[in-house]
Amino acid sequence: MSARQTLVLRVNDTEHEVRAALHDTLLTVLRDQLQLTGAKRGCNHGVCGACTVLVDGRPVRACLTLAHTCRSAAITTIEGARGIADRLREAFEQAGAVQCGFCSSGMVLTASALLAARPAASVEEIRAGLSGNLCRCTGYRKIVDAVRAVAQGAER
Amino acid sequence: MSALKQLHFPQTPEEAARLLARGDDVRCIAGGASLVAMMNLDLVDPVELVSLAEVAELRGISATPDGGLRIGAMTRHRELEAEARLAGPLAVLREAAGKVANPPVRNMGTIGGVVALADPAADYPSALVAADAVVELASERGRRRVPAREFFLGLYTTALAPAEIVSAILLPPAAPGVGLYDKLARVAGDHAIVAVALSVTRRADAGIAVGRAIGGGAPTPVHDPKVDALLAQGRLSDAAAAQAGAALAAAADPTDDVRASAEYRRLAIPRMVARAVARARDELERAR
Repeated sequence: MSARQTLVLRVNDTEHEVRAALHDTLLTVLRDQLQLTGAKRGCNHGVCGACTVLVDGRPVRACLTLAHTCRSAAITTIEGARGIADRLREAFEQAGAVQCGFCSSGMVLTASALLAARPAASVEEIRAGLSGNLCRCTGYRKIVDAVRAVAQGAER
Repeated sequence: MSALKQLHFPQTPEEAARLLARGDDVRCIAGGASLVAMMNLDLVDPVELVSLAEVAELRGISATPDGGLRIGAMTRHRELEAEARLAGPLAVLREAAGKVANPPVRNMGTIGGVVALADPAADYPSALVAADAVVELASERGRRRVPAREFFLGLYTTALAPAEIVSAILLPPAAPGVGLYDKLARVAGDHAIVAVALSVTRRADAGIAVGRAIGGGAPTPVHDPKVDALLAQGRLSDAAAAQAGAALAAAADPTDDVRASAEYRRLAIPRMVARAVARARDELERAR
């Protein structure tokens, strides 16, 4: 078994010193050591998108990221996401885009990065942007509606 | 439980190659999108990892003295799908990059990682073969170059020697023409059932390769210079496309897997080739 090594992770604008095994993924460290459980462990091999977090502002799979390779990165989880993410939270609630909630943090973070790059994203762009995040409850329509509502707000 | 004992962060390709020479259980990690998934599934259990994340030379896309492009091995799919210099016949690579998995995975995965792994499901191998790209390899002995058409040898098997890394992909100078990558998949982001990579220059050289046509056996891009010549001489006519499709389907020898039967693939290849050739012809005419 590999020994734990000290690592400083910058998460939600705060530096945390953690002890992590070299094979520990960012997802494991966020959930089990920092108690940031908004990122979910779904498939654990990069398909479902439930573990999505932002690394240097871009959505990535926390389950496919080794924690020790994040030593110079700025990580944002759903717990620390503000701005566009706040507008998305409200829109998800208004549109009824949350059912079980397992996919929601990944959806909101992925959509927030999409809207940061393309504030008035079209429905087509939103569907393509969220194509790597699976939802087993909503059938996606209400999620796309919620993101589009925020994009339309930016158009005005 | 993982056997992983060391994680290295070399600063140069040569230093990375030297670390790889420490043993068979030492592996390279680029973006991690494939390797960490395999580690999570207990398919690989490296003792040491050599991260290429801090090797500055491997990042970015630059012009070469001959007018071509040099794509650093650590270039992300996201960067390639947005690269305006991948135009004309080189657009085949831009389109392939935009069809890899999904946006978050495209933020992680790198072209060097895909090329070195040589997963038969990958989108780049056929695109690089069609574009007549060259793979640059680095080791302690120096650099060497292998044409993409000779690099992919089989299932997860390449011309990479032990303790050698992919350092860059070299593309020929952009010429007038068109390039496209057409992927038949069950849903967006899935691996291809059949993909066609096509790169055509205005002076009527054609490069065509079919990827993912094969479910097992010899899963490398299906490419034949005679088929390229046939398309070029036939000026991308429907008749030439039909001949090319039949030849590539015959050469592909597809087998069954979870995504499609061999028979389905055998039928899909000529149709995909015809569609790709027709689109290339239309785009060439429009650009005239």
